Amino acid sequence: MSTNLTLKKRSPREFGRYIFFSFALIFILLFAFKIPRVSIPLIVSYAVVLILNPIWPFLYKLKISRPTGSLAIIIGLFFFIISPIIKFAPVITEESRNLQYYIPKVEAYAKKKYSQLANQTYEKTGYRLDPSYLDQGIEIGKRSLGKFLLGLPKFLASTLEWIFLVPLFVFFLLRDNKAIESNLLKICPNSIFERYYSLTHQFGKQLGGYIFAKFVEAAIVGTIITAGLLILGVRFSVILGFIAGVTNIIPYMGPIIGFIPAVVVGLIEYQGTSTFWAIITLYMVANAIDIGIVFPILVSRMVNLHPVVVVISVILGSQYFGIIGMVISIPAAAVVKLVIHEVYNEIYGNRAA
Amino acid sequence: MAESYEREVGKKIENGEGTPEKIKYSILKYFWDSNPLIRSQGDTIPKFLRSVDVLTNFTDLELRTLSKYLNERKFSDREIIFKQNDYGMGLYFIFRGHVDLYVNKNDEETTLIEKESISHLLTLGANDYFGELSLLQENSIRNASAVARDGCVLLGIFKPDLEEMINLYPVVAAKLLQAISVIIASRFFSLSKETKELKVKLAALEKEAR
Repeated sequence: MSTNLTLKKRSPREFGRYIFFSFALIFILLFAFKIPRVSIPLIVSYAVVLILNPIWPFLYKLKISRPTGSLAIIIGLFFFIISPIIKFAPVITEESRNLQYYIPKVEAYAKKKYSQLANQTYEKTGYRLDPSYLDQGIEIGKRSLGKFLLGLPKFLASTLEWIFLVPLFVFFLLRDNKAIESNLLKICPNSIFERYYSLTHQFGKQLGGYIFAKFVEAAIVGTIITAGLLILGVRFSVILGFIAGVTNIIPYMGPIIGFIPAVVVGLIEYQGTSTFWAIITLYMVANAIDIGIVFPILVSRMVNLHPVVVVISVILGSQYFGIIGMVISIPAAAVVKLVIHEVYNEIYGNRAA
Repeated sequence: MAESYEREVGKKIENGEGTPEKIKYSILKYFWDSNPLIRSQGDTIPKFLRSVDVLTNFTDLELRTLSKYLNERKFSDREIIFKQNDYGMGLYFIFRGHVDLYVNKNDEETTLIEKESISHLLTLGANDYFGELSLLQENSIRNASAVARDGCVLLGIFKPDLEEMINLYPVVAAKLLQAISVIIASRFFSLSKETKELKVKLAALEKEAR
């Protein structure tokens, strides 16, 4: 039985939906790139919401509604964040105050080492190293430190802004993210609806899993290093552990960046002693646990990317968006991979069979 | 929404059609429905779901929960809902309107334009559902094309919704999966019955041929 089939290939309404939907997406992207003052806290809040996602089934089991649950989570977060801050703030302030007196020590140490090196090269090659190299180096270091200190008030002001913005955003995202999602789905054109829904869902799942895994990983590494340094009785142990945890979020380069301050402190304070080697071993062990156990179990399962792709995307991210770019490069690469995969399947029809 | 009852009757009187003999509404219901603060309760999604036959074992509260996970999609007349061999990931209930299902006999790339090989399978009306296999299968492909007729409204439930429902409302998810299992079981039963009959017929034909 053959039928007379007349179809509207694409109705004007559908065309309108396409235009409206693409404008909405472009608007969101523009907003994210052009108003970083709002979009970055928003992205951070979204990351927090994704980290908190596994809590919901428990709350639903206790028959707690979404608004009440959001409020409870926010209050809980305040408690969990503020109490360690109160506990550790004096330690961190003291350590950073010590850091201030520490910098001349670093300078003296560098000068001593440099003159040793200059003597050695003179003895071996007969070439005298110009001491101005070191002065220049120190000058650059001082200048960048000055720049950092000058930029600090601005940074602190924005942090203050964040302290108000992030909890607010987190609360409303927790409460309303379902509604926001369904509104975006509502305006999606019919002909791409299922594909769009599947894509955003996969992306959300991967991103949520990745962020959660990274958060856990950073916490584990930070805790191991802080505890180890405290046991060894190393100075600045809390700051060093915190730095190691935070920099661990940056893929590949992060652990090295987090290692540098520890090496500096170790060289100056404990050079030649067993403590120095203990610090190095501690970092090695922490990173070995990270690479050998935590990463394969938690992180790599989340985003299935080739290591070369990861390195390239991290470099590209750092070039265009700095440190934040390094952090978001892997999820961004995962999105690109998902989209490419989808387009590939669409064009080459790998889907059938 | 339709015009108010008063205006409707008023128009009839103006046109000289005469008033209806008996007011069907009870007076209380009339005032209840004319309350502007209460939305028309006639065609809400939970009420609609109550009338879907496979969802009979849901309680009202569970239907309301399920309705939160349904995606309302509007299609204009003759608009393609999905094509054969498309990637599918969900089940649609027909809230309003009709849906035509077509099958392309050449199971290759379907464009729905080549009219010769396409045959009309059946037409579904309100309270019907289709695409239930896609909700369960991994990498499911649609085995028929669906085309909307006279502006239909569909309520779709998709894999992500089901996943979230399993996490947050396990009882509702279990009942939905049970409903889908019932659909698939009855379909499988009729299929195996058909196969059996066909086998008998085939055996008879083979006997004849010998």
